Amino acid sequence: MWDTARMDVKRVVDVIRVDPETCTTRTPVEKAPDPELGTEVIPAARYYSEEFMKLEWERIWTKVWLLGGRADDIPEPGDYICTDIGKESVLIVRQHDGSLRAFPNVCLHRGNRLRPEGLGNAEQFRCMYHHWTYGLDGAIERLPDLCTFQQGGPPGMTLPSLPCTQWNSFVWFSLNPDVEPFDDYIAPLKEHLEPYHPERMAWKRDVTVEWDCNWKASVDAFNETYHVQGIHPQLLWYLDDVNVQIDCYERHNRYLIPFATISPRVAMPSQIPPAIDEIMRNAGMDPAEYEGRISDIRRDVQLFKRKHGASQGKDYSALNDDQLTDDYHYMIFPNLALNVHADDVLMFRQRPHATDPNKMLYDVWVFELVPQGEEWPERVKHRRFKHGDRSIGQVLDQDAYNLPTVQLGMKSDSFPGLWIGEQELRIRHFHKVLDDYIYGPGGKSPDDI
Amino acid sequence: MDLGLQGKKAIVVGGARGIGFAVAEVLAREGCDIALSARGEDSVKDAVASLSRYGTKVIGKPVNVRKADEYKEWLAWAIEALDGVDVVIPLTSAGSGIGSDKYWSNAFETDVMGPVRAVEAAIPHMTEQGSGSIVLVATTSALEAMGGPQAYNAMKASLITYGKQLALAHGKDGIRVNVVSPGPVEFEGGNWDMIKGTMEKFYASQLRQQPMGRLGKPEEIARAIVFLASEAASWCSGSHLVVDGGFTNRTHF
Repeated sequence: MWDTARMDVKRVVDVIRVDPETCTTRTPVEKAPDPELGTEVIPAARYYSEEFMKLEWERIWTKVWLLGGRADDIPEPGDYICTDIGKESVLIVRQHDGSLRAFPNVCLHRGNRLRPEGLGNAEQFRCMYHHWTYGLDGAIERLPDLCTFQQGGPPGMTLPSLPCTQWNSFVWFSLNPDVEPFDDYIAPLKEHLEPYHPERMAWKRDVTVEWDCNWKASVDAFNETYHVQGIHPQLLWYLDDVNVQIDCYERHNRYLIPFATISPRVAMPSQIPPAIDEIMRNAGMDPAEYEGRISDIRRDVQLFKRKHGASQGKDYSALNDDQLTDDYHYMIFPNLALNVHADDVLMFRQRPHATDPNKMLYDVWVFELVPQGEEWPERVKHRRFKHGDRSIGQVLDQDAYNLPTVQLGMKSDSFPGLWIGEQELRIRHFHKVLDDYIYGPGGKSPDDI
Repeated sequence: MDLGLQGKKAIVVGGARGIGFAVAEVLAREGCDIALSARGEDSVKDAVASLSRYGTKVIGKPVNVRKADEYKEWLAWAIEALDGVDVVIPLTSAGSGIGSDKYWSNAFETDVMGPVRAVEAAIPHMTEQGSGSIVLVATTSALEAMGGPQAYNAMKASLITYGKQLALAHGKDGIRVNVVSPGPVEFEGGNWDMIKGTMEKFYASQLRQQPMGRLGKPEEIARAIVFLASEAASWCSGSHLVVDGGFTNRTHF
């Protein structure tokens, strides 16, 4: 851990944290030992090289488990999620027996896509071209004029099946028929994330933005808090960007950021900042009634939510006190960033462009806890637009702002690569995991990008 | 110009930070003994330690102005510990806020009754010695729109009336009472410091309305307050001085 006193701070803050010795809830709180990842430059070429993009496709995207969507979008038989990843498109379909199946979204006849991206319900998937028709399980149910195909129908008369599963309200798939069991892949995050009960949360936002940068530039952007002082000055009166616990696991990682507190980078104000005022109101507190010090608000919000959560229809029993205020921020390899909170989840799915390493798809998904007894809200509509065309909120606009120029600067002959500091350990960890997939464990040589 | 503050005894309620600390500092530099308050013990300690370098007697004790009994005890303690009182400057404020009735009672207890109780504690001593000076601190937000209709603005406005009437009532006893209304003042840890960070556009719009292109500094308000508190202002009483770099639009005839 870095020495906060020597950083560009105004104060040294000793954050109260849940004690791992006495914590009885499932999400681990202890600091994981930091991996030794060195101080090498992370090569810039991997952000724009088409060859590297190809390697990523062959060795990552087609090998790992990927997030497909939200399970409660497809509760009934025939409900499906159609989601694209790179040049592929996948259908994840609820079966008559309640199970899930996934298959490529492509007609085996002439290659037409069976469905556009999005959600739907189907009794069958009938290709719009020659009406080849597939059942919910991917089997070809009708192939017009089958007798005119001397070679018969495609192998097994079915679409190939892709691995898929449902976990923690989300559906997952893999393009790799031989992918390892999902439980092995997601480890150790099940115990971390299940206590948040995302199944009690409903869609609040569903947005896709076409960003003008490599997908990894976006992953990096959310994997460190060092940028808060650079681009989110307003958050310095909302969170502690300096006293951040980083935990790297096998392929995933996380950091824990205290919220409802004042960054050591600014002087302690005498009045409750607007964003913390809002946290208090959302918890059911009246900031005007608050008699304590501003530095005590985080702890008092935790105690208040612990005491009053149940009467507000919010069951926080599976969460520790820090989880009631703080941002437990997870990165699920390769492309998910999740800000998980007691009352909501703000997550990003970062998808590569099908052909261009300089572009990506940035999915923003927000879910909010629906208090017991309250009506489940209508599902929000998905919106899609281009980088900068519309605001996606002040903080995310600030995050997005630099990425196109980062992507341009990466290509400079004067920029060998990323010069990464300790606060950015998760970026280094992410790229190490990436390296191990691309070059084999420990197989990256100094000349490799 | 000699301010004539050497050896005077001053009470600064809310003297650990911002304008209050700047007032205490100017007073200490001018040779006043000082009793100051703040909510937090650490804040009081830091302020006392810092001001002691000017060589006068500087004492402090934490107090919550909103708790009437505790606050009255504090005032009695301050007067006794200073062995008298010549200058009273109550600055503690509950700050702004909209959306809860409680903001009104907070502002009343702190911004109104804070000064009222300090004045009432000091007047008998000042009357007895036949001299004394009180400066109340209002705000330009009492004079013109700022931040929406709210308790802070309205409660601070009452001090302008109260100050004038105090001056009328106690002039015969040699007690002068004046009011200073500061415009937006920026200092580390102050509201405008936070607004600059959290509401950049609003902050920029305020700067554009400032004739001098900047907000005030605590010491610029403090010097005006201390002048009115001092013997140099011996014919100033019942006055209301706006110190705002020309910010307010109204003309002060």
